[in-house]
Amino acid sequence: MDSATGYLTTTVDSVVNWARSNSLMPMPMGLACCAIEMMAFGGPKYDVGRFGSEAMRFSPRQADLMIVAGWCSYKMAHAIRRVWDQMADPKWCIAMGACASSGGMHRCYGVVQGIDNFLPVDVYIPGCPPRPEAVIHALMDIQEKIRNEYSIAKDYTSGPQQSTVAPINPGILTSDGRTTAGGV
Amino acid sequence: MSELLKFHFTPADKARPEEENLHAQVSTDVTDVIKALQEQFPGAVTDVSVYAGEHTVFVARENLLQVCTALKETLGFTYLVDLAGVDRFQEDAPRYEVYYCFVNLKAGKRLRIKVRVEEDDAVVPSITGLFKAADWNERECFDMLGIRFKGHPDLRRMYMPEDFEYYPQRKEFPLLGIPGSLPLPPRTPEGELTLDPFAAARSGSPVKSYQEPAANDEK
Repeated sequence: MDSATGYLTTTVDSVVNWARSNSLMPMPMGLACCAIEMMAFGGPKYDVGRFGSEAMRFSPRQADLMIVAGWCSYKMAHAIRRVWDQMADPKWCIAMGACASSGGMHRCYGVVQGIDNFLPVDVYIPGCPPRPEAVIHALMDIQEKIRNEYSIAKDYTSGPQQSTVAPINPGILTSDGRTTAGGV
Repeated sequence: MSELLKFHFTPADKARPEEENLHAQVSTDVTDVIKALQEQFPGAVTDVSVYAGEHTVFVARENLLQVCTALKETLGFTYLVDLAGVDRFQEDAPRYEVYYCFVNLKAGKRLRIKVRVEEDDAVVPSITGLFKAADWNERECFDMLGIRFKGHPDLRRMYMPEDFEYYPQRKEFPLLGIPGSLPLPPRTPEGELTLDPFAAARSGSPVKSYQEPAANDEK
């Protein structure tokens, strides 16, 4: 759409959140059998490309969603934390499966009892291993979380505040001055 | 050891009575090899037990290398299948045990050898000079049970971090570990990785967790 046909008004948050949520690039931290299901999640049958996340990024510098799939030993925890710290903000984390979420059946000395001991986890997926649909659901939860983020500092702790200014009705303003209805 | 550990255990059931093992195969019948060992090294074979049609040869620690050399060079047992340690945890007998499984590929025979060592002198000669395959198995046995292998070229821990101070498969080690004995990474990027389990491998000072570790030629 160029200036000859009109322009589009919206908020920065809407555009940024729309862009972020529909192009999440997962960092596949496959540690055990959950990683096999994660491959199915990225493969053609379950086709996570429908949600814009088909581009798995094995470089942490290019990823913004870490899927920790499988049990994590104390030794591996340091490597995972290093990869997590190398990912650029904003970033999100999924603990995939019972072992990543809580240690699962590996209730022993060598396995971290839940990766939330050293990582900020956004979504936990139960299951041993979870089906790819469950991973897609977790991805959709993350997308929902991103769409509700606000970039402008405002106090939302007591709920959305009523503005004294009349809300701007988003619409498309055409070059001859008409405003068409409809949002983004 | 920074903390004295104690094992509260329930005595195990009695061993099942000897019965005919229908699955015992000809490959486990190695009476001729045992006889040859007893003739060649008198006193080396301390005991021979048979259970379910399988022979187990107990060898004195001092004669282990001689016996293994003979097995490899004259008796044809050129393949070391397995090597691991056992914590028997009995007060009236040597506590630790290392077993070796050999295979004679040409004759199709299997042989199991065991060496028993006391707790306060848990040292076994390493057979890495004869069988290279023993390298990682001996490291694993050292890592899990604390049995030292004299003459091993690189006796480091196999699985646990190198500064870990316990031996997890000893019976007195609690299943869920000792709290605080294994470090977790810092929760903030600026945190120091001072308790890095790979510090010895990197032989460098700890770096920030978001930085790449320096390569060897960058130091």
